[in-house]
Amino acid sequence: MNDPSISISVQNVTQRFRLIQERPDTVRELFAKLARKRTGYRDFEAVSGISLDIRKGEIVGLIGRNGSGKSTLLKMIAGVYRPTSGTVVVNGTLAPLIELGAGMHPELTGRENILLNGLLMGYSKETMRERQQKIIEFADIGDFIDSPVKQYSSGMYMRLAFSVATEVDPDILVVDEILAVGDFTFQEKCFDRLRSFRALGKTIVLVTHSMSQIEDHCDRAILLEKGKLALDGTPEEAIKAYLGVSAIEEPVLVEAPSPRA
Amino acid sequence: MTELIRDTFRYRELIWSLAVKELTIRYKRSVLGFLWAQLNPLLSMLVLTLVFSKIMVNQQPHYAVFLLSVLLPWTFFSQSLSYATESIVGNADLIKKVRVAKLVFPVAAVVSNMINLLLSFISLVLIMLVLRHPFYWTLLYLPVPLIALVIMTLGATFFFAAANVYYRDVAHILQIVLQVWFYVTPIIYSLEFFPMKYRVYFKLNPIIYLLNGFRLSVYYGLLPTPQSVIASFVCAFAALYFGFRIFRKYQDDFVFYV
Repeated sequence: MNDPSISISVQNVTQRFRLIQERPDTVRELFAKLARKRTGYRDFEAVSGISLDIRKGEIVGLIGRNGSGKSTLLKMIAGVYRPTSGTVVVNGTLAPLIELGAGMHPELTGRENILLNGLLMGYSKETMRERQQKIIEFADIGDFIDSPVKQYSSGMYMRLAFSVATEVDPDILVVDEILAVGDFTFQEKCFDRLRSFRALGKTIVLVTHSMSQIEDHCDRAILLEKGKLALDGTPEEAIKAYLGVSAIEEPVLVEAPSPRA
Repeated sequence: MTELIRDTFRYRELIWSLAVKELTIRYKRSVLGFLWAQLNPLLSMLVLTLVFSKIMVNQQPHYAVFLLSVLLPWTFFSQSLSYATESIVGNADLIKKVRVAKLVFPVAAVVSNMINLLLSFISLVLIMLVLRHPFYWTLLYLPVPLIALVIMTLGATFFFAAANVYYRDVAHILQIVLQVWFYVTPIIYSLEFFPMKYRVYFKLNPIIYLLNGFRLSVYYGLLPTPQSVIASFVCAFAALYFGFRIFRKYQDDFVFYV
């Protein structure tokens, strides 16, 4: 990437999945299927041919209906998925917050997970020790910090994940729909932090179904439709286009995040 | 192969904490905790010693030492394989959310069993003291078969961990393979039980060269022949080379199948 002001460059990426179409439930069905050769798969393009550049200091919102490819695109940016074709270049350190919490182990305590999560993101043990106190303070979940994460409510889980991801001070923060589970005060706290991130020239990519979040916090919004880029513009434009499209097909815009998927 | 060394070094802290996590989780909320890892080989030692030295009237003196000297490394090998085979699928939660070098998971599984192995050597020493088995100077040679064993185990774990992502049957097949492998390997018996003409077949078993190094140095106070040492390292590096190659080839697609 030549332009240093660009923090994420996505060039013509496509992500194709192999979906399992029907699952043989019994051994007999399985043999029946094998005899007919494999037909249980169907290729599905979750994201097709998307190109976009995200500049440093931008807060970009990704919107679109369920299954429009938002999360897939986000996972490609986070490096979790390798695109089937096309390239993603990320300039700087990246902290992902995907599907409620980025890499925590349910059996470990919150405190242990802070370390594990940090190490997974590539930070050193020393860095994590130094920041542990601040992470715990920001998460503000009291004594739960020393209980196994499997006993957390989804809100507590998200508080901890968000604290870790932002306290490690990444250049880029990628957030998938997780802010929805935080209570009002914590959401405010999160957005305060996101704003200060932007002030520091950091980049944030946010997937959300809350149009007010897009309107209030994003500089730019990208609307995806069936895996394709439908619109890339101001939040107002994108919201208008999105609501225009989905008001007919999908009146309810609430997507409940899957519990600890 | 340089990738393997580079990433292992780069992620050493992560690997270590995953290995410790593996152990703490396995024994969390159990009263005996870490002792379970020790009890397993010790109990099978007790049973086998009883069967072999009392019932079958085996001539092998200090059968417990004879057995443990190879049973412990074997347990390390088979446990590492069992842990590691599940390691990619078992860490699906992490793999789906963070970009991380996938090799840390099987490597961590091997490291956690390594900790168990080193701890279990303590039991071996205690048993040697009780039985007054001599401590030969050849014990100093132990690191050599140990290194070969770790290399071979890593290779095998890479292969099985990758294969299990695509076919979950692998974990089950592995258990059967390990069981058969255990009996066709001279662990509970000695190769000398067999007439010369059959021993040739045992030499096809790649792990025999490594295990032999352990038994010779601990039990007999001897060193293996140079040929046997070379054979053990050739097998170990071949396993690592092929295992890691396959793992590397498929690692980017794991996330779609876990």
